[in-house]
Amino acid sequence: MKTVLKNGRILDPAQDLDMVGSLVVEDDQVIEFGAKVDARGADEVIDCTGLWIAPGLVDLHVHLREPGEEHRETIVSGTQSAAAGGYTTICCMPNTNPPLDSPSLIDFIMDRSASPEAGGVFVAPVGALTLGNRGDQLSDLAALKKAGIVAASDEEAPIQSALVMTRAMETCVQLDLPIMAHCEETSLSDGGCMNEGAMSAMLGLKGMPRTSEEIMVMRNCLISLHTGCQLHILRVSTWGAVEMIRQAKYLGAPVTCEICPHHFSLTEDAVGEFNPLFKTTPPLRTQVDIDILLQALSDGTIDCIASDHSPYANYEVQVPFEEAPFGMVGLESVVGVTLTNLTHRGILSPLETVRKLSTAPAQILRLEAGTIKPGDTPVAQVTVIDPELEWTFDVQKTFSKAKNSPFQGMKLKGKAVMTMCGSEIYRDARFDGRRLVSVG
Amino acid sequence: MSRHLLGIRQLDREDIAELLQTAMEFKRRVLEADFVPQPLNRVVGLLFFEGSTRTRVSFEQAAHYLGYRVTNFAAQGSSMSKGETLKDTILTLRHERLDALVMRHRCSGAPTFAARYFGGPVVNAGDGQHEHPTQALGDALTILERKGRLEGLNVAIVGDVSHSRVARSNAWLLAKMGASVRLVGPKTLMPNNMSKLPGSVYYDLSAGIEDCDVVICLRLQRERMDEGLLSSVNEYRRQYQINRQTLRYAAPDCLVMHPGPINRGVEMDDPAADGDNSAITRQIENGIFVRMATLHWVFQSNAGQPAAGTVAPVKKAKEKVSTVQSKVKVAKKASAAASHAKTAKKKAK
Repeated sequence: MKTVLKNGRILDPAQDLDMVGSLVVEDDQVIEFGAKVDARGADEVIDCTGLWIAPGLVDLHVHLREPGEEHRETIVSGTQSAAAGGYTTICCMPNTNPPLDSPSLIDFIMDRSASPEAGGVFVAPVGALTLGNRGDQLSDLAALKKAGIVAASDEEAPIQSALVMTRAMETCVQLDLPIMAHCEETSLSDGGCMNEGAMSAMLGLKGMPRTSEEIMVMRNCLISLHTGCQLHILRVSTWGAVEMIRQAKYLGAPVTCEICPHHFSLTEDAVGEFNPLFKTTPPLRTQVDIDILLQALSDGTIDCIASDHSPYANYEVQVPFEEAPFGMVGLESVVGVTLTNLTHRGILSPLETVRKLSTAPAQILRLEAGTIKPGDTPVAQVTVIDPELEWTFDVQKTFSKAKNSPFQGMKLKGKAVMTMCGSEIYRDARFDGRRLVSVG
Repeated sequence: MSRHLLGIRQLDREDIAELLQTAMEFKRRVLEADFVPQPLNRVVGLLFFEGSTRTRVSFEQAAHYLGYRVTNFAAQGSSMSKGETLKDTILTLRHERLDALVMRHRCSGAPTFAARYFGGPVVNAGDGQHEHPTQALGDALTILERKGRLEGLNVAIVGDVSHSRVARSNAWLLAKMGASVRLVGPKTLMPNNMSKLPGSVYYDLSAGIEDCDVVICLRLQRERMDEGLLSSVNEYRRQYQINRQTLRYAAPDCLVMHPGPINRGVEMDDPAADGDNSAITRQIENGIFVRMATLHWVFQSNAGQPAAGTVAPVKKAKEKVSTVQSKVKVAKKASAAASHAKTAKKKAK
């Protein structure tokens, strides 16, 4: 099988490459790309004029919910959703039931994600940093690493004890294992359900103050600085957190961070009349935050974009706001929202967009992904993006089991139209058939 | 589309005026025994997921005067305690053919949620720390009766503003009707961002109630001490209690109000609660009439026409208002004169 993606805009930040050209995938490898390629004997030639040819996208922050919460999402449905969103590699979070704190559970994730029904993307598991995500006793991290975890995290149950976090970072330095941290000082945020501010005051809802996030970002950055442990900060949402991270990087701490599309697209005002679809943690903040987050995206302080794909069943979300769970699905809206709100508004160039969505996240966790360079990834990972495709996001048409999206009905510009991970794993129904130059 | 009363925030000035006028008319007719409730085939469900005495009784009384039937629903012993979701409960009540819901819930926004699924009118009888619109309407009716107007009055709302649905509803209503609203209380019990709420904030009681025409005193929940928001009851009492001493900063005929239940000796002392300027019992009584007006109002739009036999034409109601207002003005002058006389006596002593 030989496929030629012809005359696209090849964007590979790993090689600082932004050129018009073609790319050849034969069997499951990229064998060649450039202005002129050898297309002889191709089974399929696809005209990619006006489209981006990018390395497969990488999402560091996905909740696949399996094992234990299959009513929300499964490894099969979640990986299919990832493929449809343009992803070829995703990291799954350990807050399942039971949490991913033992090697056998890691084996289970690996097996399930490699099964033929699954979406065909690589799943890199993140292990539980403490046993049961309880925040006191460390998991057997060496054994977990051997089983294949790429990082450790307590995700939604952030470690409150500075002592436990210090021991965790000391352990992970030795194991060369990055820690991913959701930063929240829960004594300040407990019982809160949205940003503490004008909207929470008006709606009579308990707020989650920005200091709750910023204090923990600062603490974790300091422990990272002094232990030398690689720290990836999950989903930053406030301008203060960004400034803390900027300072930590300046001081030489091995710190990176991610942002979610909802945090650079929506403010607390979106909660409107108690709409539980807009409840997330950290909460949607304010326009002042967004302005500085956008600046930090373009100056590189924010390293990458992650979905924080958090599926919930309808009955879990259709409850009064205070009782609703935190989180929203995202795998299939990230590309559209990112291109609409960042690329088309001049915040990120096309090359930088691809860096935030693919190369940077791959480099943060040293995943074999994020480039189209032959030999640098186990199989070809390529995503074709139509940057000009205008479409309306309809969550009912997504592959995810869950439908809790804040972007429902939003008009977007830009979409992943084809995903290859070894072989082709997704092609959008809107993909123009006339682009098929020849089919062998 | 059903009409709901989910909060004062969503109402405009005309809605509020209409509700108050209707309440006045109902009050006159009930007090003059010029009111024959006609049995109507309307069933109002009272859903109180949180304890309440006065509000529930008040709604029951209002419904009875209007000739509606009432059915009570208690969360304990219901299917909710068997794990039914609120959405399913609301859908069940819809298919039990209830015509309207009156709902109290510990979650802010729960009536808004119920309104999405119920189909018919939903009336908020207090939701979390969000709103308690019928309390604010009753308070406004009380102020209107005693002061003759709302516009231009200085009204202080004193106490735990942050956690109070009464404070929010009152602030919205009074501000929309042209009163000047002051929110008074300790910083730990005040929202730290007021940009989407009406009113100006005072941390000092004497400054906050200076020259006020009305003081609405809020209940202080004991939990605030456990949460570390206040050091002690005594500390609060010394700084924020409404009593004869602190009321000297307010206007001489300042009306004193409280949504109840009162913590006597904490947020308010006996003389303030029981004095001539206290309108606390009047607030309770007026609660019934504004709740009649509310139930009437939500159904009125829903049915497309006024319910037969129970409603006075708006024109007539307006005439009545002006009479009430002129009466009130006279009364006010008299009481003002009386209080001035008192002050004069004191000075003489």
